[in-house]
Amino acid sequence: MPKQKYLCIQRSQSGKSEKPSPAQMEEMYAKFHAWKEKFQKNIVDMGGKLGSGKVVTSEGATDGPFVEAKEVVGGFMIVSAESLEEAMEVVRESPGVVMPGSSVEVREIHTP
Amino acid sequence: MSTPKLVEHFFRHEYARLVATLSRRVGVQYIEDVEDAVQSALMTALETWTIAGLPDNPPAWLFRVAHNNLMGELRRRTGRRRILEQNVKEHIGTLENGPEIFLAGEVEDDLLRMLFVCCDEAIPVESQLVLALKTLCGFEIREIALRLFASEANVYKRLGRARSRLRKLRLYPGKLTGKHYSSRLPVVHKILYLVFTEGYLSSQSEMAIRRELCDEAIRLATILAEHPAGQTPETFALLALMHLHAARMTARQDSSGALLLLEEQERALWDQQRIQVGLEWLAKSAKGDGFSRYHAEAGIAAEHCLAPSFRETRWNKVVECYALLERIAPSAIHKLNRAVAVAEWQGPAEGLAILKGFEPPTWLAGSYLWAAVLADLHRRCGYVHTANRYRDVACKLAPTPAVKELLQRRLQIGLPGGSLNLDKLESGVNRG
Repeated sequence: MPKQKYLCIQRSQSGKSEKPSPAQMEEMYAKFHAWKEKFQKNIVDMGGKLGSGKVVTSEGATDGPFVEAKEVVGGFMIVSAESLEEAMEVVRESPGVVMPGSSVEVREIHTP
Repeated sequence: MSTPKLVEHFFRHEYARLVATLSRRVGVQYIEDVEDAVQSALMTALETWTIAGLPDNPPAWLFRVAHNNLMGELRRRTGRRRILEQNVKEHIGTLENGPEIFLAGEVEDDLLRMLFVCCDEAIPVESQLVLALKTLCGFEIREIALRLFASEANVYKRLGRARSRLRKLRLYPGKLTGKHYSSRLPVVHKILYLVFTEGYLSSQSEMAIRRELCDEAIRLATILAEHPAGQTPETFALLALMHLHAARMTARQDSSGALLLLEEQERALWDQQRIQVGLEWLAKSAKGDGFSRYHAEAGIAAEHCLAPSFRETRWNKVVECYALLERIAPSAIHKLNRAVAVAEWQGPAEGLAILKGFEPPTWLAGSYLWAAVLADLHRRCGYVHTANRYRDVACKLAPTPAVKELLQRRLQIGLPGGSLNLDKLESGVNRG
């Protein structure tokens, strides 16, 4: 069965969270490293962080807000998996869901 | 697209390196801005590297980002004026090709300079310690609080005192003169000693956390010992004593984390390689006629390391070192330790005789150590009643369950001979 691609959208709660210390960053880096090694076959595109931008409509463009929510879309990536369950498994262990208040939305990408 | 592993403590040590280098360049009075700039550069690195992989030269990458952060902040705040013109003019515009080349030894120079900045005589010692842990080891306030068994508010206050002093300084750490280096060296020794003992003697039961402080102390002391500004017999002796204690560290606990007496320790677990390193530094420290407290303490540690067994320890040498230590650095704890060593050498009654009529200062009288040693010596002399009285006091004063457990085990049952040898060093700034 050909693998399916999934778009993963990382969200975090807006508002300030406590800055991690260098020692904690070390830990986060190590965790990320381990996760990436484990799922390297599933990771198609590590994506990236999303910066600021504009919302474009037929009537023009605004600065946003992009969505009316307390949560902020922080980044995205694309993984491949046999099933949504497998994709969820990849994401569940990712550092993106570790931070309190963070979540990752997993959506199948339908391509013709 | 892999994210290669980074060397251990990369983030903490890069933090220290960058804070030291950047605050030399812009002036230590801007240390808080420097720390913010470095913190945020590390955060950017974490986010970028995990996605894009490591750059060719991670330290240079970090330096550039931290440097840009800092310049941006200083520029923004001073309206492109004063500081830039006065202090950092020569660095503007050289970013593209300049600062990523580090000359060998430059990093060590900066770290060392920072260490001497932390040991400014105008900063109280408990603040010097916190400042060193923050800037030179890269620990955050809550991590320092955990390691020093202090409240975060207390650590924050101590750090504040140090920072307010640095803010007033118009002296850049780069401008420290040879005179500063030599006059502050004893304080530098003391701070490194404290970092070490905070780890070695900590009431913190988690070995990894304690070990980390000892490793940091050894790392900084090694930089000091390899630098012209720090190459004195005292430095070598200090480093020797750290290695000789650290070599025995893991053997001080059993598998359940309970503390073990020197007598009970499995000597095969002692790190022989580290003992060798310690002995080499000790040999180096013997040059010249200076004999410091670190020499005496390293000498005691070496005797223990070299003894094939507890019984075969050269107790007369240990006693001799404690006597020297008492003379150089008078402290009641040395007397107490000498009494313990004398009891091993000549018997418990002789040990007790040393303490007879001695009025301990209140900090020692109120500590479990004093009561525990008296309980042990009385017990071994057969004075059961007095021994039990001191034992109860000692157990009541025990700072942690691990210590209490050890005291009960040692002082309750009628073990013949043996001693309550607790691997004691002098109490640090948070004790006593």
